[in-house]
Amino acid sequence: MTENTTHASHHIDLAAMQREHGPILEVKNLQVDFTTDDKRAVHAVRDASFTVYPGQWVAIVGESGSGKSTSAMAVLGLLPGTGHVVGGSIKLDGQEVSSMMPKQFESLRGSKMGLVPQDPMSNLNPVWRIGTQVKEALKANNIDIAHEKRSDLAKALAGEDIELKGNDDELFLGSDQLQGLLATATSELESLGLSGDALESKLQFFRQEWVPGSETRWHIAEDLIKAGVNDDRAWEIAKTYAKGSSMSDRIAGLLNEAGLPDAATRARQYPHEFSGGMRQRALIAIGLACRPDLLIADEPTSALDVTVQKKILDHLQSLTDSLGTSVLFITHDLGLAAERAQHIVVMYKGQVVESGPSLEVLQHPQHPYTKRLVAAAPSLASQRIISAHERGLDTRQLMEHAVKDEDTLEHGEHIITVDHLTREFKLPRRKEMFKAVDDVSFSLKRGTTLAIVGESGSGKSTVANMVLHLLAPTAGKVFYEGADTSTFSKAQLLDFRRHVQPVFQNPYGSLDPMYSIYRSIEEPLRIHKIGNTKSRIKRVKELLDMVELPESVMGRYPNELSGGQRQRIAIARAMALEPDVIVCDEAVSALDVLVQDQVLRLLNDLQAERGLSYLFITHDLAVVRQIADEVVVMQHGKLVEHATTDEVFNHPKMQYTRDLLDAIPGGKLQLGLDM
Amino acid sequence: MTQEELMHKSEEVLPGQQRYVAPIEQTPLQSVDSVNESAPATSMWADAWRTLRHNPMFIVSAILILILLVVAIFPGLFTHQDPNYCTLDTSLDPPSAGHPFGFDMQGCDMYSRVIYGARTSMSVGILATLLVVLIGTIIGATAGFFGGWVDAVLSRINDIFFALPILLGAIVVLQMFKTSGSIWKIVLVMALFGWVSTARIARGAVLSAKNLEFNTASTALGSTPMRNLLRHILPNSLAPIIVIGTTSLGTYIVLEATLSFLGVGLPTSTVSWGGDIAKAQDLLRTDPMVLFYPSVALAITVLAFIMMGDAVKDALDPKSRTA
Amino acid sequence: MGKYLLRRILQMIPVVLGTTLLVYALVFALPGDPVKAMFGDKPVNEAVAAQIRAEYNLDKPFIIQYLLFLKNALTLDFGNTFAGQPVIDEIGRAFPVTIKLALMAFAFEAIFGVVFGVISGLKKGKWYDSVILIVSLLLISVPTFVTGFLGQYFLGVQWSILPVTAGADPGFIDLLMPAMVLGSVSMAYIIRLTRSEVSSNIALDYVRTARAKGLSNRSVIMRHILRNSLIPVVTYLGQDLGALMGGAMISETIFNIHGIGFLTYQSILKGEATLVVSIVTLLMLIFVVCNLIVDMLYAALDPRIRYA
Repeated sequence: MTENTTHASHHIDLAAMQREHGPILEVKNLQVDFTTDDKRAVHAVRDASFTVYPGQWVAIVGESGSGKSTSAMAVLGLLPGTGHVVGGSIKLDGQEVSSMMPKQFESLRGSKMGLVPQDPMSNLNPVWRIGTQVKEALKANNIDIAHEKRSDLAKALAGEDIELKGNDDELFLGSDQLQGLLATATSELESLGLSGDALESKLQFFRQEWVPGSETRWHIAEDLIKAGVNDDRAWEIAKTYAKGSSMSDRIAGLLNEAGLPDAATRARQYPHEFSGGMRQRALIAIGLACRPDLLIADEPTSALDVTVQKKILDHLQSLTDSLGTSVLFITHDLGLAAERAQHIVVMYKGQVVESGPSLEVLQHPQHPYTKRLVAAAPSLASQRIISAHERGLDTRQLMEHAVKDEDTLEHGEHIITVDHLTREFKLPRRKEMFKAVDDVSFSLKRGTTLAIVGESGSGKSTVANMVLHLLAPTAGKVFYEGADTSTFSKAQLLDFRRHVQPVFQNPYGSLDPMYSIYRSIEEPLRIHKIGNTKSRIKRVKELLDMVELPESVMGRYPNELSGGQRQRIAIARAMALEPDVIVCDEAVSALDVLVQDQVLRLLNDLQAERGLSYLFITHDLAVVRQIADEVVVMQHGKLVEHATTDEVFNHPKMQYTRDLLDAIPGGKLQLGLDM
Repeated sequence: MTQEELMHKSEEVLPGQQRYVAPIEQTPLQSVDSVNESAPATSMWADAWRTLRHNPMFIVSAILILILLVVAIFPGLFTHQDPNYCTLDTSLDPPSAGHPFGFDMQGCDMYSRVIYGARTSMSVGILATLLVVLIGTIIGATAGFFGGWVDAVLSRINDIFFALPILLGAIVVLQMFKTSGSIWKIVLVMALFGWVSTARIARGAVLSAKNLEFNTASTALGSTPMRNLLRHILPNSLAPIIVIGTTSLGTYIVLEATLSFLGVGLPTSTVSWGGDIAKAQDLLRTDPMVLFYPSVALAITVLAFIMMGDAVKDALDPKSRTA
Repeated sequence: MGKYLLRRILQMIPVVLGTTLLVYALVFALPGDPVKAMFGDKPVNEAVAAQIRAEYNLDKPFIIQYLLFLKNALTLDFGNTFAGQPVIDEIGRAFPVTIKLALMAFAFEAIFGVVFGVISGLKKGKWYDSVILIVSLLLISVPTFVTGFLGQYFLGVQWSILPVTAGADPGFIDLLMPAMVLGSVSMAYIIRLTRSEVSSNIALDYVRTARAKGLSNRSVIMRHILRNSLIPVVTYLGQDLGALMGGAMISETIFNIHGIGFLTYQSILKGEATLVVSIVTLLMLIFVVCNLIVDMLYAALDPRIRYA
């Protein structure tokens, strides 16, 4: 509780400061229209208002098409295509920007407001080195690279810890001086009588901390003082060595600050040599390069693996806190928004339906849409289950999926058994083989759901493809009802296909765009020569009814349907042959929360009615809690942990599983949900 | 939370960040993911057709091509003159009644030669394109679908033909068969050297269609690779092949005219714009109109097909289709 | 880089061999007698024919003929023309003219193609975009020889700005019109290519990110839109240079320029089989080398495919 109070007092200080400064961003009754080809106006944002104060994280939450990104882009003056602001006002630090000329906007972007975009793969220019792209940002805004630019808020906050002794104290350390500084620091510490491990650990700290281009004179002085050097001597050393950095030092410093190790080398590389997470860090470095007062983070991590997501957001948060940067955080994940932001704005179909302090909105949602979102968000659902657990309530009713009890799980009949499955791939220009799947064994019991969880590259989809007999294993076997699938004849394989059906990840790719919905669903019947035209039409109608789609979609084509509808069509197609097993490979990952929830419910209902068995491949542990009986966790092709869902969530055995659980957004929220 | 606590809380909240809930009547809730049943159902082709119909470039080129087709099939409707009836008496006579374009050097009626020239150009262009698309698609699709050594061999052969400019190759071969007079000679030669680019495009299209997820889905439903090729991959590779086919039709018409112009194409007995232009080139200083008519006819025909190709590309190009 | 270059050169060898073989086969092995073709429609003396066959190795099996040709070609010995001139001398005379013409056409299409393409792409939908588009469509549709005549008629005959034909030893002014005519079709293609590249690159994510950094509109266009749009344009230009070096057959004929294209056409008409094969072999090498340069340029321009 003490901790809470200190935090609160600090919060009040901050609030007073914020109140005094006024909002950094004030959007009032914003209206954005897009013009279609036939000159009609589409209202993308209607009457939206929100306010961001210095040092705050404010989240805009909504589904795709809710207008959340459009609002953010309107603030930056970067609306795509035919978009334009038709009404309302946008004030940045008291200055009206919505009516500005492009040239005036240029002077605000970068220095006053920065952007961390959504997709790290497409947001860096492939032909320029990473360092060059950071440098552009600095040069465009005429940033004095020798000095740190600090916001008033950060200065004020820093004032609590250390007294600044003038502008010079914010000179950056250059790489030429680093060796000398370290040597002097070593001798200084030795003269203080430090030696052995104590000395080494201090030096280790210095080596990590003192990065050319991101470490300022007063930071160095502070570090030395904390290590025991007396004030005057510390300042003397800092002044001798930190004399301002070069451009390349500053670039490396910025990249390092964004969490890229070995930044000086990294700066000379091209984007394609970076992983998604590293690119996102580079984009964060670019967004913060000129120390903007406001950072717009547009789904900055949704394209990344969950553990990477968490690391990057943690880092971004500590970085913006120390710089005093305000963040407008755009996300589709309510749990994530509540975890990171103090204030939440919920948008739906271009309108703000609800806004307020994060926890309040989450705990007492008022608007029906917000209620719906809170109920559907998987991250929150698993939170609800945990909190119900803690209160000793029966959690079953909270789960949409009726989890089988231990007894059924132990004695259930194995319908699919995977035995020491290994798959190797040949990598281009490499001698040794790459093991995508390494000695994986598990079995799926009839009528239950087994989830395979892992991040990209864990080999989970490769396992799915081997189970589906689409990919031959290098070693090991897959058994269906006790029969080794590798020995199947053509006829047996066709029969196996009838019983084991897939639903794939990409709802845009798994349906042939040239096939009408009727032909798509009818295809399996045609392949297996079941029924005549009349009976097939009847069957397709039944199947559409089962996935709750109107008969009228039969004549339509996939491009006319939404992602969730396509995924329901894919499920109908998979159900056409009345299979026993459905392999869902990331089947709901690409869908919006509410749609995802709808598809999951559908899968649950089908299982309850027909005793289906699911092999559910996903990267999202939160979803697993809702649907699976058993969980297999995979990492780098290996099976890390295998247990019942409760066991995995309540008593994870492996560190990796714990990391995955930690990464579920909203995990640390004190919810006390009352709905 | 008590009323008092709430009051206390709202004091802490900064201006502009008070709790706000939109009135439900202004923000009505819609059912999740409902199907818009009012819009008409459209296949990719129907969609492309709708885009085409609204493209003025398509309308203009379609009308032109239609007229050209009628002229090519029924030249008798437009002129009663025999294009090959030539007497030196009328050599280079100016336009007169019934002879709107006048006469050329040999004394042939220019108007009827321009009309009959359409037949040659159109038939060579269409036949060559059909043959090229057929051969190119078969070779390209085979290479793309089977991959491995089949692809390696076919792609090397493709490289070899690609390095040889089509005009050069055509002249070399046609020079050998100067004696044969049928238009099939020139069509076959064009196909021999023209399949390369279509094959490259077909290979690329099949390769990318092959890797789409719906093929894997069909396989998992029990479909065989051959069935996938015929039912899924080929239909999905057609668009780029149609685009290159339409665009190259114009190119083959130019090529025929060029070859005839150079004197290695069709024999002089066949009425051809290219041949007529060649015959008239010495009249540039004295009677430019003799050169002018066949040139304009040729240019309009090619323009019509190139425009059509552009319009078709706009309608079928996957890049412009967002879904 | 060196390794990549070496691999590309090794990959070129079968293509060069295959293409020369193809041309050789087309000229010497098709039904149709090259010796008869030499004499045109005149009756052939059998003894003379036999002598000629022996001289050109035509009496030997086809594949031997080809190998002998290759062997000689490696030492730049392409044999003699009917008139007794060494083939290599003929080519040596014609080549400088063609290089001059090709480079001029190349400069013309590159400069105007890129400039108009960029203007058009940046201002899609403006009136000058439409004008540029229509002109480029027309240039593509009108065959080179028609463009040539139009140029001759207006620039040469009517307005007398430029010489109508070039003649034996052409200078810069003489080649100006031929170069423009030769480059006009490619220029139109470059305009269209540049336009579509520029207009699709404008909407890319990294361009938006560049703007969000605070870059000026000018920098965004120069450093992000143009730099990336020009990669495929450079590829096209490189391949076109190879084609220009040999493909000027029509322009050289119309303007009476005694370059490689003119020589090729004349030798095909006269049935100078050796000359045809030799020239085509040379052109092929130039084409392939240009392609290699394009590959290298591509690698230099686009870091993603470096050493790939």
